[in-house]
Amino acid sequence: MSIHHPAEDIRDAWRRLLSRGRAVRQAYKQVFGIPDYERYVAHRMAHHPDQPLLPQNEFYRRAIAGKFGRGGQRCC
Amino acid sequence: MNGVKSFLVWAAVAIVGAVSFAALALGRGESVNAVWLVTAALSVYIIAYRFYSKFIAERVLKLDDSRETPAVRHNDGLDYVPTNKWVLYGHHFAAIAGAGPLVGPVLAAQLGFLPGTLWILAGVVAAGAVQDFIVLFASVRRDGKSLGEMIKMELGPIPGSLALVGVLGIMIIILAVLALVVVKALTASPWGLFTIAATIPIALLMGIYMRVIRPGRVTEASVIGVVLLLAAIVYGRTIAGDATLGPIFTLTGPQLAWALILYGAIAASLPVWLMLAPRDYLSTFLKIGTIVALAVGIYLVAPPLRMPATTRFIDGTGPVFSGALFPFLFITIACGAVSGFHALISSGTTPKMIAKESQMRLIGFGGMLAESFVAVMALTAACVLDPGIYFVMNAPAAIIGSTAADAAQVISHWGFVITPDMIQQTAADIGEKTILSRAGGAPTLAVGMAQILGSALGGKTMEAFWYHFAILFEALFILTAVDAGTRVGRFMIQDMLGHVYRPLGDTQLLPANFLATGLCVAMWGYFLYQGVVDPLGGINTLWQLFGVGNQMLAGIALLLCTTVLVKMKRQRYAWVTLVPTVWLLITTLTAGLEKIFHSDPRIGFLALAHKFSTAAAQGTVLAPAKSVAEMQRVAFNNYLDAFVCGFFVLLVLAMCVFAIKTCMQALRQARPTSIEIPPAGAAQSAA
Repeated sequence: MSIHHPAEDIRDAWRRLLSRGRAVRQAYKQVFGIPDYERYVAHRMAHHPDQPLLPQNEFYRRAIAGKFGRGGQRCC
Repeated sequence: MNGVKSFLVWAAVAIVGAVSFAALALGRGESVNAVWLVTAALSVYIIAYRFYSKFIAERVLKLDDSRETPAVRHNDGLDYVPTNKWVLYGHHFAAIAGAGPLVGPVLAAQLGFLPGTLWILAGVVAAGAVQDFIVLFASVRRDGKSLGEMIKMELGPIPGSLALVGVLGIMIIILAVLALVVVKALTASPWGLFTIAATIPIALLMGIYMRVIRPGRVTEASVIGVVLLLAAIVYGRTIAGDATLGPIFTLTGPQLAWALILYGAIAASLPVWLMLAPRDYLSTFLKIGTIVALAVGIYLVAPPLRMPATTRFIDGTGPVFSGALFPFLFITIACGAVSGFHALISSGTTPKMIAKESQMRLIGFGGMLAESFVAVMALTAACVLDPGIYFVMNAPAAIIGSTAADAAQVISHWGFVITPDMIQQTAADIGEKTILSRAGGAPTLAVGMAQILGSALGGKTMEAFWYHFAILFEALFILTAVDAGTRVGRFMIQDMLGHVYRPLGDTQLLPANFLATGLCVAMWGYFLYQGVVDPLGGINTLWQLFGVGNQMLAGIALLLCTTVLVKMKRQRYAWVTLVPTVWLLITTLTAGLEKIFHSDPRIGFLALAHKFSTAAAQGTVLAPAKSVAEMQRVAFNNYLDAFVCGFFVLLVLAMCVFAIKTCMQALRQARPTSIEIPPAGAAQSAA
């Protein structure tokens, strides 16, 4: 049994907080339909690691064009 | 133990609901607090969600989490993304909530607060939420196909094309009526017009920021946008009072109509990143923020409902819209109770983001409940106003005259006592010169919101700010809808023209683009302009035309849902969609036919057209028209409105015939005949 160093606990808590923050940020972006490059990269890495990634600016361009291209989804 | 606990919780919800309804129903002769109304609504939503949506999910649709959804199957990280259900709930709600649930309930408040409330609640549980839920289900089971494609698959190619033409027709009317709401709110209101005009450069700045300066930083750009908007509201008062700038921003109705038509044509031709995208983000943030603020405000302030439970206008003689409670209440409040347009959203991006089938219950059914709650709050905001003020703002000039003294006399005569001083004081409180005949929902809601938010935050001195904030918030997402809707209409027109002459359907060809955009703008622009110059107010004609169209689209969507259930061999449960379908058909066909053929010229298009054309032929001028030419125009427009209305009626009757035919065929088959993608058996046999 090793004794935990308090600094390690703090670092752990900090890391957890950061990942919680990332989750909140991702959820927020999805709710408002804001293109999320981080998530896109993670998805490509997980599913198509062999294929090239779109550069960040190009990703935003395509995402906005795709979302609003035919007028977008809006109700009365 | 768990059973007892659950029983106690649900019994408590039911009791809270029952007590709230009792307070609403029994509080005759004294004013009822708005908190009761909002609480009654919430209790209905919670109970309907817990029991009815569960029944639909488990028994009727038999949602099956072992079946892959399109989001999982195609997961491409862009369009098809399995999404957390609460996140998707927010996303779906932001897409379905527009100006609709804010306008209809305000107009229906002329009948008192009770008829509108009961229809919103009964309608959403029995029809609206069911429609959104089952259309979403049908789309998820068909690889995320759209409403038009599903009608084509399940009912045949002719009904599929008919539905698309119908959608375009409704779209045109919606754009016209939404634009008309903006015109009514901004006529002779330099403060309002300045803030709305300021949104254009602000949106352009945000667009450039998001594209060039800090690509993808939507939130940063939006924060800058919101700060600039608030500055525009504050500064607008100075502009309005300025001797040279004030008159520049004081426009008449027809001038504003032309400005909007021009705006629509230009905005819909710009690249989406420059104006549509930033404006859409901005309006979504404001929309969610304002709705939350209003809900909190109602509970904090707990204002009394000053409108009576029912007014004498349930007999059909009301000044805001003519026609009796049945059928006109049911087409005046469309969004919030049941909205056909949602069938387009529920078969749009949402089905491509559902991670598990069981989550459709929350997204489809639950999402519509939230929209309905917005409608209840809009109704509340209209009913906390002094009824006299409500009628001053919503009755057309042809009835109440154009001075505060005339209006006060007419409205007091109806039994809603009001003095010219009160009218002038209300206008002064909100920083406007006049509040007379501002039909269309937005200004009334804005005054109601200003009073609620003002008592919560800032008091009387802040009322003018809150009023212009509320106008800005509504106008902003209406203008976004005008821009987006014109684009949608343009693509639909190009699809259709492409069948006639192929190059016209080429979306890359600039002349073809301009032609289709021009046609779309010309069509809604025509109805808008006629609505603006219509001495009878315009809203009472156009909104009802929109209501008929939108509810007919809901009828068509529910016919599809019924057909799907029958084809799945679940006809035992077909009543779930059949009952609301029949109700919608009864109310909309009655309303549609009354609008065309009713002998009272205040209701029937043909009767009014006939009255004006006969008088014009004899050379007599009938008020409120001022010349024979104006009379002929009124007659022509009413013939046109009768034609559009007749088109909607025939369309829905045709769809009805197709649906019945398909259902009869399906009933004769021993096995399910619905077409699912991938087919129903595929998943099981593979597993």
